[in-house]
Amino acid sequence: MSSQNRTKVKSRKEAFVEKTETRIWYEEPSNDNPYITKSNHCHGYDILELAKKRSFVDVLYLLFRGELPTAENAKILEHLMIALINPGPRHPATRAAMNTGIGKTDPAHILPIGLTIMGGEHSGASEVEPSMRFLRKNRKKPVNEVVDILRRGKNNSEELLTPGFGSKFGSVEILPQKFVDQILQLPGDHQTLEWANEFCKRMNTFNISWLPTGLAAAVLSDLGFQPRTCIGIFQLLSAPGLLAHGMELANKPVTAMPFISDENYVIE
Amino acid sequence: MKTMSLNDKKINTEIWDSNRNIIKSHKGGWFPGKGVFSHGYNMMEDFVGKKSYMQIVLLNATGRLPDRKIADWFEAIHICLSWPDPRIWCNQIGALAGTSRTSVVAATVTGVLASDSRAYGAKTIKAGLEFIQYAYSQYTSGKTVEEIVTTECAKHAGKPYIMGFARPIAKGDERVDAMERTTRNLGIEVGKHLELAYKIEKILLEKFDESMNINGYMSAFLSDNGFTPDEAYRICSVVVASGVTACYVDSKDKEADTFLPLHCSDIKYTGKAPRDLPD
Repeated sequence: MSSQNRTKVKSRKEAFVEKTETRIWYEEPSNDNPYITKSNHCHGYDILELAKKRSFVDVLYLLFRGELPTAENAKILEHLMIALINPGPRHPATRAAMNTGIGKTDPAHILPIGLTIMGGEHSGASEVEPSMRFLRKNRKKPVNEVVDILRRGKNNSEELLTPGFGSKFGSVEILPQKFVDQILQLPGDHQTLEWANEFCKRMNTFNISWLPTGLAAAVLSDLGFQPRTCIGIFQLLSAPGLLAHGMELANKPVTAMPFISDENYVIE
Repeated sequence: MKTMSLNDKKINTEIWDSNRNIIKSHKGGWFPGKGVFSHGYNMMEDFVGKKSYMQIVLLNATGRLPDRKIADWFEAIHICLSWPDPRIWCNQIGALAGTSRTSVVAATVTGVLASDSRAYGAKTIKAGLEFIQYAYSQYTSGKTVEEIVTTECAKHAGKPYIMGFARPIAKGDERVDAMERTTRNLGIEVGKHLELAYKIEKILLEKFDESMNINGYMSAFLSDNGFTPDEAYRICSVVVASGVTACYVDSKDKEADTFLPLHCSDIKYTGKAPRDLPD
């Protein structure tokens, strides 16, 4: 079949905006050069004032939520940031950062590479959004009801969809639960975290409990963050650990990491 | 997404233990002194100087070594899907990388990463194949082309937003004619999926003055030639790379910060007015 009498290619002349808009950041131009700023405002607050009077955690919260956090919320966010600051040297994202370092790659690439792997759907940032949606959908329901629905499953399937909750290497993770217990001791609104904790206690029988992604999802839900934003927030919070591990190996010889021997390399 | 079996209560680490300190590859590998192997082939002896680069790209993405003409067709479509215009989103990342003096590799891969998009790039190719293969299954189950088009348009308030048909920014698609010519020159026959795509296009032209775009042509062609949506996605993962590189080079070879510089006032601030910081 040959080509048909197609429309001749022509622009749709769509109405694009003349300027990009932002509600986050205002840059006031200097008097003599329109490319140079004389002040920056984050959601209305002068950045110099913020630097003088507020913590990094406060300003991070402000950037994404548009308002400064309460002292309680700032403390909760800071706790989460420390919980997630380093996925550890066995996490694939950290190992990617370490491979970048040991391979003598430009250090500017360590974070983009590590964070990209951290964006994965398995134990990575892309698990946080579905986890938050799972929590949003269920947190108003009694835990027992949700557990029963999950147990029945669709078409009696044995597969459970509990993003952010599960097991690693055959058993439940230990540390996320400890962080949850600590955060629950802090003053503040823990509605989602409490619900999810109750859920985990019930699901423990099925080898399902907190994963770091679920921890992030529950805490960030309670702090009012949007699910899609939290993909990147999770990456951001893990960035220090990725960079530290990558840089630790950047000045070492390539022999400072294992290289699987030919005997242990099998083409199947 | 985490899935877990209800009956999985006993700790069993066998699958991980059996993979510690050993790599089991279904693809290939390099054994110093013996050779470099890919899918059972000796790469230096069987490929170099004998097969095209694109044949090897397809082999690595699908596990099948294709005919040269299919690989040549893929090479042609890569030309269609990337060009040096920095107004295109992924290409603009290349240009911004150039004006910021990153490396060319950083520029190109970040542009490629940007093309992992629901709106354009490799992911839309996967969606295109999914659509035409679904539509074909509907068609062979007895639905008319008219019904298929009506059902799809109904998902978008009656508008002809069907993956592979119509196109943002412009009407029409000059690349379809170029690839039809390429297909003819390579002696590749039109198959059932492409026949259906033409029938869908005919209705869209009559009703909306909208035609098939390159995604639609490519998706139907690849479906006719036995490719799955995931295989097409994998083969085309870096399809925008060369255009990004070109845009990087263009701005890298000019003064820093000269690619679309912005006055402060070129950004429209719509947020809160300056306010005092509470103590």
